[in-house]
Amino acid sequence: MINPVLLIAIPLLFAFLSVMFKKADKGLLTIAIFFNLIGAFLLKETEVIIGGWKPPFGINLVADQYSIFGLIVLNIVFALTVFASFSSVKKYSTVLLVSLASLNGLLLTGDLFNLFVFLEIASISGYILSTMTKKYKGTFNYIVLGALGSNLYLLGLIILYATVGTLNMADMATKVPMINNNVLLLALTFIFAGFAVEAKLIPFNGWVKNVYGNVNDLSGGIFSSAYSTAFILVFGRIFTEVFQLSETLKVVFLTISVLTFIFAEAAAFEQKNIRKILAYSSVAQAGLAATLLLFGFKEIAMMQILNNSLAKVVMFTIAGGIYLATGTDNLDKLNGLFKKQFLLGLGFTISAMSLIGLPIFYGFYVKILSLTSIMKSGNYIVPILILLAALIEGVYYIRMLVKLWNPKDGEVTGLKVEKCIKYALLGVIVGAFIIYISINPQFVTEGMINYLSKIAGGM
Amino acid sequence: MIQYLFIGLILIGMYGLLTQKNLIKIIVALNVLEVGVNLFIISTGYVKDGIAPILFSGAKTNVGNFVDPLPQALVLTAIVIGVGVTALALTVVRKLYEKYGTLELDEMGSEKND
Amino acid sequence: MKRLIAILLVGVLGFFIFTNLYSEGNGKVFPKFGEVKISERVSDKFVKKNVNGNVTTVEYKVTKDAESGSANMVTSIVVNYRSFDTLGEVTVLFVSALGVGLLLSGKSRMKFKTPPNFILKAAVRVVAGIILITGVYIFIHGHLTPGGGFPGGSMIASAILLFYISDDEFKTKVKAFKFLEGTAGSLYLIFGLLGLTMGGYFLYNFIPTGVVGELLSAGIVPIVYIFVGLKVGSELSNLISDFLSEEGK
Repeated sequence: MINPVLLIAIPLLFAFLSVMFKKADKGLLTIAIFFNLIGAFLLKETEVIIGGWKPPFGINLVADQYSIFGLIVLNIVFALTVFASFSSVKKYSTVLLVSLASLNGLLLTGDLFNLFVFLEIASISGYILSTMTKKYKGTFNYIVLGALGSNLYLLGLIILYATVGTLNMADMATKVPMINNNVLLLALTFIFAGFAVEAKLIPFNGWVKNVYGNVNDLSGGIFSSAYSTAFILVFGRIFTEVFQLSETLKVVFLTISVLTFIFAEAAAFEQKNIRKILAYSSVAQAGLAATLLLFGFKEIAMMQILNNSLAKVVMFTIAGGIYLATGTDNLDKLNGLFKKQFLLGLGFTISAMSLIGLPIFYGFYVKILSLTSIMKSGNYIVPILILLAALIEGVYYIRMLVKLWNPKDGEVTGLKVEKCIKYALLGVIVGAFIIYISINPQFVTEGMINYLSKIAGGM
Repeated sequence: MIQYLFIGLILIGMYGLLTQKNLIKIIVALNVLEVGVNLFIISTGYVKDGIAPILFSGAKTNVGNFVDPLPQALVLTAIVIGVGVTALALTVVRKLYEKYGTLELDEMGSEKND
Repeated sequence: MKRLIAILLVGVLGFFIFTNLYSEGNGKVFPKFGEVKISERVSDKFVKKNVNGNVTTVEYKVTKDAESGSANMVTSIVVNYRSFDTLGEVTVLFVSALGVGLLLSGKSRMKFKTPPNFILKAAVRVVAGIILITGVYIFIHGHLTPGGGFPGGSMIASAILLFYISDDEFKTKVKAFKFLEGTAGSLYLIFGLLGLTMGGYFLYNFIPTGVVGELLSAGIVPIVYIFVGLKVGSELSNLISDFLSEEGK
């Protein structure tokens, strides 16, 4: 049993300490990451009050199955990314510590305004991490859209507060049915728009192309796995647990999420750079997860998010590593790279195959589950669109893999990734885990349910 | 009603974000929007003929006609966050100016990708 | 053309806001300006200071050991009832100041094109001390009067800004400020953790709150506000010196 507030307080404390003790910053980062990793596994279902003020008056942290799942995934991928690309940390360890604290806080908090504060901390550390490759135009774009989004979220939240007078999530959930429909429509539109920026939904995802498309190994892994996991899970909590959407609003939001993954897959098809392809693919995966969450299939969405974040942490880290080592990530210049560097390609390929959902891989299991579930609920258009998107995704990923493994025309590239062993190791470990859960998908579903019910009963 | 003015400020900020091409002007537009949101938040706590939520000699908590203190506390947080984001945005603008020698988005061209 | 579309879009948005926000009908509607009923909100209990009990009234300079002992209710929310938000807020400023420092890592101080004249120099010497003292006063009295750590800290930083403007050679010791910033932030968190060990809740107010309205009251509130004031002051001063730095030389 561990107090969930420590998952936020310890990295934050270490962040403040790391400014004072500049030389020990990497050590502090390592300790905090290990602490959070162990802490996430030791968490039990609980609710903690901050400052001794009972909700809805004070702020509370809620560790339920949903957030514990999120915390475990988040802290694992965070640790994997940081350790696989430890040489890129440089001066950024304090920022990483703050972002770790805020992402944990995002998943734990039970207060809507506190969520806003953590959202801001996370996005500001995101802005700083996105300057790692010195492509400032993307960062500027990200800052403007992120600030707009958080202001819209705040506006929606304050309309709700003025109407029903509470900020606590659980309290808000009980009071939402009392609100006038029009006021609720307005407030939810603003809140959705605010979240759409960080959850990468249309039309607020203009920043993704430039930020995700210009990452290095460290920021790539952090953004694509840790950040997207936290933000999409929070999106799910807000729109499934706190607010009950009316039918019209649900259709509108679903349309936006479906359009997101359709357009993103189409845009990814056009790209020539590995990181750009992965960026659009991330947008598409976020749209897919949002669709599943809005349909109410939380468990399937969680599996989908797990699959995406495991696959993306490998692919983005390797893509960023390739860029760092060779100075390019253009597919035409990297013909047959994996042929020379077999180990590097292994994890990358397994991840890509699981992501597109080829049979026998975990992604396939998730995809079939989501398709049948949506069809059972009586909707046939969305499954067809998901299949279409999966087809496009499959084509461009296979095309990319073929180019990297076996160039048909043109000579094999002369470029090489030096010191690739850590990326290869990351790829192999995560790849092995993906294969394990592909053969044994119950490990995630049942294993998690057993694990969670055991700790819940063990209190 | 004075609240209309604050919503008007928000809309002016939106218009600025949609039309401006100068980096500094975009940040100004963002700040106008932010000020609009903050004033709107404050206005939701106003009680007619209310007094500032501070106890003074002779005042009791159950009789005074205090305005809602919570929106003011929230605005304090929102203002500080706004300052942080603006400082960071201005820094990025300075870096962009060092790189391209201009503040106009149109004159920068797209960032090179390799 | 683009402007026309923008005007149209903003107009539609404005229409959408106005029609929905001020609509009448079933359910709770958005309260009109000034017609707010605080009794229906959570802040009612913050005003009456009875979140944890049935205190009927709290009187200035009379009531002892109220659950939140600060006379300024905004402060009691910011540093007591919702102190966790303030911790986050401090972190926001911390991380953005850090980011600015990372991006603008110039060593030398930027020189102004026109050197500061005599009047400015003399005036700053007179004014800056007063500003500094007022800033400290404001964050020490944050629980009694309007103000608190954030305004007080900004005033301190404004005094530093005046020094920068009036003296071309002036340069703060960034390292000292970094140390102050880190110490204040860590102490805030350590006080929170102390509350966890002593009262069972993170950021618990474990010091007796005293008589409402006296300087030594409100438990940890003034202590935390002093940390916040020092932290904000040093962070904003760092921001100023980062913005006025340039590379080379």
